[in-house]
Amino acid sequence: MSGSGEEKVVRTVCGIVDGVRCGILAHVRNGALVKVEPADFPDPRFRHICARALCSTQLVYHQDRLRYPLKRLGERGEGRWQRISWDEALDTIASKLTEIRAKYGHESLAWAIEVMAYIRLASALEATMINPIGFGDAAGPCGDQISYGTHYGDLYTIDFESPGMCVMWGGNFAETKPFCWRRIREAKERGAKLVAIDPRFTTSASKADEYLSIRPGTDPALVLGMINVILERELVDEYFVTAHTVGPFLVRGDNGLFLRESDIVPGGSNKYIIWDTQTNRPQAQDEEGATPALSGVYHLAGVECRPAFQLLADLAKQYPLEKASEITEVAPGTIERLAVEHTTRKPVASYRGMGLQRTFHGDLSYRAIATLAAVTGNINLEGYSEGYRRFLFNGGTILFGDRFPSPMPLLQAYEAIATGQPYPIKALWLAGHNFMNQSPDNNKVLKELVPRLEFIVVADMFMTASAQHADVVLPTCSFFEHLDLVTPIDVLSPYMQLQPKVIEPLYESKSDRDIVNELGSRMGLGEEFGLSAEAYVEAILSSGHPSVEGITLDKLKEGPVEVPPYDFTGFRTPSGRMEFYSEGMRQFGQELPVYLEPIESARQPLAKQYPLSYLSTHTKYGNHSLMANVAWLRELDAEPLLEMNPRDAEARGIKDGDMVVAFNDRGRVKLKAKIHQGIRPGAVNINEGWWHHHYAEGTHQALTHAVINPAQMAVFEPNSAMYDNLVEVKKAGEE
Amino acid sequence: MAKQYGLVIDLERCIGCHTCTVACKLENGLEAGSWITVQTIGGPHQDTPGGKHPQLSMHFLPVLCMHCDLPPCRDACPLGAIFKRVDGIVLVDEEKCDGCQECLPACPYGVLSYDVETNAVGKCTLCAHRVEKGLEPFCVTCCETEAICFGNLGDSGSSVSKVIAQRSAATLKPEAGAKPAVYYCPTRQGRIQ
Repeated sequence: MSGSGEEKVVRTVCGIVDGVRCGILAHVRNGALVKVEPADFPDPRFRHICARALCSTQLVYHQDRLRYPLKRLGERGEGRWQRISWDEALDTIASKLTEIRAKYGHESLAWAIEVMAYIRLASALEATMINPIGFGDAAGPCGDQISYGTHYGDLYTIDFESPGMCVMWGGNFAETKPFCWRRIREAKERGAKLVAIDPRFTTSASKADEYLSIRPGTDPALVLGMINVILERELVDEYFVTAHTVGPFLVRGDNGLFLRESDIVPGGSNKYIIWDTQTNRPQAQDEEGATPALSGVYHLAGVECRPAFQLLADLAKQYPLEKASEITEVAPGTIERLAVEHTTRKPVASYRGMGLQRTFHGDLSYRAIATLAAVTGNINLEGYSEGYRRFLFNGGTILFGDRFPSPMPLLQAYEAIATGQPYPIKALWLAGHNFMNQSPDNNKVLKELVPRLEFIVVADMFMTASAQHADVVLPTCSFFEHLDLVTPIDVLSPYMQLQPKVIEPLYESKSDRDIVNELGSRMGLGEEFGLSAEAYVEAILSSGHPSVEGITLDKLKEGPVEVPPYDFTGFRTPSGRMEFYSEGMRQFGQELPVYLEPIESARQPLAKQYPLSYLSTHTKYGNHSLMANVAWLRELDAEPLLEMNPRDAEARGIKDGDMVVAFNDRGRVKLKAKIHQGIRPGAVNINEGWWHHHYAEGTHQALTHAVINPAQMAVFEPNSAMYDNLVEVKKAGEE
Repeated sequence: MAKQYGLVIDLERCIGCHTCTVACKLENGLEAGSWITVQTIGGPHQDTPGGKHPQLSMHFLPVLCMHCDLPPCRDACPLGAIFKRVDGIVLVDEEKCDGCQECLPACPYGVLSYDVETNAVGKCTLCAHRVEKGLEPFCVTCCETEAICFGNLGDSGSSVSKVIAQRSAATLKPEAGAKPAVYYCPTRQGRIQ
């Protein structure tokens, strides 16, 4: 490194990669960030850095960073801007928000953010909070809510000390989940078998002992086929199913509800009923000495009743090997072997990727795999604590218990903006969320939603696609330029960390927290908007919540602090057990983890027109649209490419490197083709995150739909099914 | 055996993340290119496998200056600008180098590069400036999967020497006779040729 001056090293936290918060050492010379390197943790498994974080100086000192507030001139998206002062920017925003709130109601103001500081503002204004989880990450939590009663059930199925087998379902952990990959790698080095199930032969798949190429979105059929094998071979972990799942609970044949004591005993309780094979009588679930039946039909209360496990078995019997193979396009022998290995290589860790849940019925895929784990007893009852650690992820509201924002799912916000249902959204504030680049059905976003918004504010470091459509653009600073509290958001990390201010904010940029404070004070929203960042962190740490017990700012300044352990056993489902059968899902015909064909698959009628399954996966070369403008990463991965199997390319006369157009009724995108064997025939892929100008035309999100899944809506919120879209691809000029 | 700093790279652990590549750029101020690059062994492009779907294989191969015991680049340099230190690190003396590039084709591994701005040849220094301070090369510090180990190959008791023995690690192109100081642990599917 060149340059003089004393170098200081400050420990902080990388804010680049979604869902991962690595500790880093920032080297500062003459007030400038010059280098980063990985920082140590008490548990050495969390010491980690990646190529993206090593590009931090390129991000911070990028020539295109926004330097001062901007006001739109001319039409939205025209690209003409006027520099304004912060005073003018905040006065304009305050008056527009006040005006729109008075005209359309407080919920007509909406925030779509990845920056928690805004929760305070949205709370104080009782505005709408658009949950970014619906942008591709909601279906898995929805499925786990049903199975386990928590949004994040991964630790039930991955947190084993020494697994005999790790199965990666639709996830490229080596590229996107470093702490999971560390566990997988260590398990592999200790002798565990590694299996990858994916339509793409990913980096992670390349390290596996066995690779299963699966037709996208058919995972529940694979699981049901496996459960059928396990049933036929009598390999079910009956102890686990009986003791920890709803398996033995009798289900009424007439209405699908669990039979309750009150159904068979006048004045009886609400207890679940099992069939005791010792006494050949129904018994309450907790009756001592009973031996509950997992199979059979019992006539009680004038109706046929079956144990929930019998219903699961009945469903699985509909998926004999040949049928499961026909649906999934995985060989019957492979399905059979993998099923048996779930019982012979215990404990088996099931790593479910987020790609898995980006098909329309992705919640069912998550549920199916949780069910397989339960049937084979591959669920860790003790490892779970992460949901509790997440409490502070929403800590922005700790100080503001009396006012709350209205949460709204992302896809419902499309309706709210487009049609005013259930209520209109008229002002939208985006921060750390590149809505106009990354949300599904981009043409709908730009052509139908943006024009209906009366006021758009974007706070960002760069002139993103979203900023280009804003009325006021606010320059924010990077995570090196302000203090914040970083809670453990990775599924495995137990550490609370402090992100200190390492360098001063560049140009006129401000932290989102300072923007919130200054606007809140200006709008007279309360004294708490006068709290400094440090005082705010201290207020959270002294909130009395058990998850921050014993954690102080001084301790955090010394290094990462482990969040207090949480005594959590069992499941937070209605029954208190793992629920592969859910009463609440009957209305959707999804009381069991049924297989439903993806809504846009090659076997749907639409495939006659658009035969290819389109994926838009994540990579090591960026994080969503963040870092797409960083030169060092573009040196490694220069431009967007459409990945296609040679079989599909030959059928279309497409050669490697040809300019092609991928299209459907929603839109089109023009880019070069990358022809290789790593993607299965019938599927195509573009790595998401590229900015509009990187494409010759269109964008990766022009092809995706924003269709709401009502079952997910009822449980949690509908996911963007970005891996469940049909397209056709042709050589450019021939489409 | 004389002191010889070198690396052992575990190809089973390498996930082709290019973290070493970017770490090298950052540490050595390389705006364009890097002194360690990661090749994909498999298909026609970076990150693509060989074979036919779904019977596929893909590996990653980090390539850098091998700090050879008998460096052909040194022998090819007409100015004596390339030299081997007593610790085994091979360096280019930028003062002496006049940018003639005769060393480039001499290297069996193709890891020397010409820098127009300095009019000199550049390559991996094994982070000699860090090694002198008792630190590891920065690519080793940053490797995502702890796939790269640094140490003295001349000491049969060093951790790198033990890994080489235990994992049957081998060098690339031994037939070139340069005696490289970068070893590779084979993947489970076998040795990378």
